[in-house]
Amino acid sequence: METEDTRRRKPRPRTAEGGRRLQSAGSAIVVALAGLLVGLLLNAPGLHKSATIQPGGWKRDAALAVTGPLESVSGALLLDRPRRALKAVLGRPGDDEIDTAVAVPLPAPEKPVTSGEAAAPPAREKFSPKRKLRLWIAGDSLVVVPGESLLRAVGGNRAITPVGKIDGRIASGLERPDVFNWFTHVREEMRSKKPRAAVVMFGGNDDHGFMTGLPEGKEIGPFGSVTWQAEYRRRVAGIMDAITRNGAYLVWIGLPISRDDAQTQRYDTINAIVQKEAAKRPGRAAYLDTYFFFAGEDGGFAQYIADDSGRLVRMRADDGVHFERPAGDLIAEKVLERLAERYDLTSWRRSS
Amino acid sequence: MLFPTATFAIFFMIVLPLSWLLMPRGERWRPFIIAASFVFYSAWDWRFVFLLAASIVWNQVFALAIHRRSDLRGRKSLLAAAVVGNLAVLGYFKYYDFFVTSTNNLFASAGIDVPLEARSIVLPVGISFFTFMGLSYVVDVYRRDFEPVGFGTFAAYLSFFPHLVAGPIVRPRELIPQIGSQRDPRYVDTSRAFFLIATGLFMKVVIANQLAANIVDQVFGAPNQHSSLEVLVGIYAYSVQIYADFLGYTNIAIGLALLLGFTFPQNFDAPYSATSIADFWRRWHMTLSRWLRDYLYIPLGGNRGGRLLTYRNLMLTMLIGGLWHGAGWTFIAWGAIHGTALVAERWWRERPGFVERPWTRSRRAWHRFVTFQVVCFAWIFFRSDSFADAWDLIVRLFTAWGEPSPLVSGGVLAAIAVGIGSQYLPRRLPLVIMARFSRLPIPAQAAVLSLALLAVHAMGPEGVAPFIYFQF
Repeated sequence: METEDTRRRKPRPRTAEGGRRLQSAGSAIVVALAGLLVGLLLNAPGLHKSATIQPGGWKRDAALAVTGPLESVSGALLLDRPRRALKAVLGRPGDDEIDTAVAVPLPAPEKPVTSGEAAAPPAREKFSPKRKLRLWIAGDSLVVVPGESLLRAVGGNRAITPVGKIDGRIASGLERPDVFNWFTHVREEMRSKKPRAAVVMFGGNDDHGFMTGLPEGKEIGPFGSVTWQAEYRRRVAGIMDAITRNGAYLVWIGLPISRDDAQTQRYDTINAIVQKEAAKRPGRAAYLDTYFFFAGEDGGFAQYIADDSGRLVRMRADDGVHFERPAGDLIAEKVLERLAERYDLTSWRRSS
Repeated sequence: MLFPTATFAIFFMIVLPLSWLLMPRGERWRPFIIAASFVFYSAWDWRFVFLLAASIVWNQVFALAIHRRSDLRGRKSLLAAAVVGNLAVLGYFKYYDFFVTSTNNLFASAGIDVPLEARSIVLPVGISFFTFMGLSYVVDVYRRDFEPVGFGTFAAYLSFFPHLVAGPIVRPRELIPQIGSQRDPRYVDTSRAFFLIATGLFMKVVIANQLAANIVDQVFGAPNQHSSLEVLVGIYAYSVQIYADFLGYTNIAIGLALLLGFTFPQNFDAPYSATSIADFWRRWHMTLSRWLRDYLYIPLGGNRGGRLLTYRNLMLTMLIGGLWHGAGWTFIAWGAIHGTALVAERWWRERPGFVERPWTRSRRAWHRFVTFQVVCFAWIFFRSDSFADAWDLIVRLFTAWGEPSPLVSGGVLAAIAVGIGSQYLPRRLPLVIMARFSRLPIPAQAAVLSLALLAVHAMGPEGVAPFIYFQF
C-alpha cells in the first residue's frame, strides 16, 4: 500500500474546516482510551447494574468480574458522585440500585372447599361510567402488544378506565428481581392505583435455570427441576396473591407457542405452574391459555395464520416469540371475555 | 453488537490501534479489517456472514466479468444477471412473505385458494444497505465510471463495519480509493470524530429512546386511549425520534470511520428545516436519495422524457424507495405521499406563468412549516402497522381535544425542541466547538469525552433499544 509517492508527499495542512487541528492517530487512540476509561469509572454504578442484570452465563460472570472492581475503584475515588448527583437532578435516584428482595404475601391457610362453594361463582359486580372498572396491564415485553390491543378494545367502553400506561418491562420476569423487581412493584402499584382488574403476562424471560433473590442459603436445581418449580411456584403465587388480595380480579395470559421447540417445552412448564396456581384461586384469578391460538395446522409454530375468510394474517414477530397486532387483538378479545365472566361491564348501557 | 454498548466499545478499542498498526501494510490491513467486520456482523447472527460473503463474491465476479467484456450486449447481459442476483436475494429475504400474503389475500377475497405458504423468513440485518452498495459497484463498473478493484479491497469496502448494517450508503468512488491508499496517521480528524460520536450517542440514547419510551410507543400502540394533543405531540415526537435515531447512528458511523482514517459522506443536513419536499430529500438520508437518483430515477429517464414521464419517474422512485424501507403497504403509502408531493411541487413550478418569488423570512418560515407537516403526515403511515391503525390515529387527532394529556410532559416537549431546534443552529457553531476542542490538551480532550459519556449514560433510559433503520 505504501509507495514512494506517499512517503515523499507534501505535508498536508494540519487544520481542517473551521480551523480545527488534525491530530495523530496516536492522539486519537490515547484520547479515546482515556476518555472511555474515565467514562467507565464515572458510570461504574450503572455499568455494574447492567452487568448484574444480564442473563446468567459466562458473559455475565465476565462483566461482573470487570464492573465489580470498577465500581469499587469509582467509589473510592468519589467518581461515582457526579452520576448520583445527575440521577438525583433527573428525579431518578434509584436507577442504579439493585433490589433482589422477593417479598411475597404469606400463603393463605388452605381451606377445604365444599362442593357448594365450588359451584357458586361470585356475583358479577357491576361497573358503569359513574363507577368505572380500573384496569391495570403489566408484565414483560410480551404483554405490550396484547396490552395495546386491550386498550384499543376497551376504548369504546366507558365503564372501563385503564390506570396508567401499559406497564411492560423489557427483559423482566419473576426469576430475576435484579432486572426489575415485580414483587415490590406490584405491591406499590396495587396500593397507589387500586385496580379492580389486572391483566398480566410473565414468564417469557423466565425459561432459564438462573434465579436471583433466593432466600438465604437456598439453592435451586436447573430449569424445570423440582426445586426450581417450587421456587417459581412460590413467586407466581406471590404475585397472584399480591394482586387478588387487594381486591383485583386477575387475568394471567399464558405463554404462546414459540418458534423454538425447546423453548415451547420450557414455556409449557411455566404455563403449567401458572395454570395450577390460578385454579387455586377461583373467582379471583383466571389463566388464559394462548397455546392453540397461534399453532399452525400441524400443531406447531406458525407466524402466519389464515383467518376465517382465508386471508393470511401475520400473528407473530420475526423473533418467533413476540406478537403482532392481530395476535394482540385476539388475546384482548379473550381477556375481555374473562373479565366479562367476572364483571358486568355492559348492563349500564341498557339502563342509561 | 450495537454501537452504544460496552461490548462494541471493547471491540472498537481493539480494532482501532491494530488498524493503524497494520495500515502501512495494506496486504495485512485488508484481511484484518474484513475479519473484524465479519466478527462485528456475526454478533447478530453468525449464519448470515455467509450471505455477506456470497454478496461480496457475486458482485466482484460480475464486476470483473463486465469489465473484461467489450461488447455492449454481453456487458448488458452480465449486468442484468448481477442485478437480478442481488435483487433475488433481497427479494427472498425481505419481500417473499409480503408477496405471498398479498397474493394470497388478493385471491382469498375472490374465494380462490393460492397454494403459497409464508416462510417466516428472518431478515438479515443490513441486507438492504450492502445490497445497494454491491449494486452500485457493478453498475459503476458497467458504466465505466469505475474500474473493478482487487478482491480484498472490494471485500473491505462492502463489509467495512462502520457502514455495514445501517449505512450511510457509501459509493465505490467515495470509499474504495481511500481503502486502496494508505491513510496518513499524522492527520486524523479527531475533533470531528469525537464530536460526531458524542452527538450521535446523545441523539440516539437520550432523545430518540426517551421519546420512544415516553410517548411514541403508547400513542401509536393505542391511539384511542390518548387525547388529540397527545396524538399530535406523539406524531411530532416520532418525527424527531426517527431523525435522532438515524442521525445518531450515522454520526457514530461517520465518527468511527474518521478515527480509522476514512471519510464517509454526510447523510443528513437539517432535514426539518427544508422548505419543500424536494428540499427535504436533498437533506434526509442523502446517500439513499443520491443512490435512488443515480441508479433508479435517471435510468428510468429522469426528467428527459417530458412532464408526464418525469412525474411517473418521480412517483416510481418514491414508491420503490418506500418499499425499500419495509415490506408493507404502509411503507408504499409513505413513498406515495412523498412522490405525490414531489410531483405536485414540480407541477406548481412548471405551470405557465410561474415566477419564483424571492425568499422572505416569513415565506421561508411558512414553507418550512408546511413541509414539516407533510413529512409528519407521511410518518404516520411509516410508523403504523396497518392502514387501519393509521386511520385510527388520524381520526383521534381530531376527535379528542380537551381530554387530559399526561404524556405531554416537559421532558417530551424538551426532547422535541432539542431535536427540531438543533437543525436551526448556526452552521458555524459545530465548527467552533470542534476547533476549540481540537486545541485542548489531550488530557482535557479525554476529560470532555468522559463527561459526555457520563451525561449520555446517566440521562438515557435503561437498556439499549435497537436502531430503527436496522430493520430496513
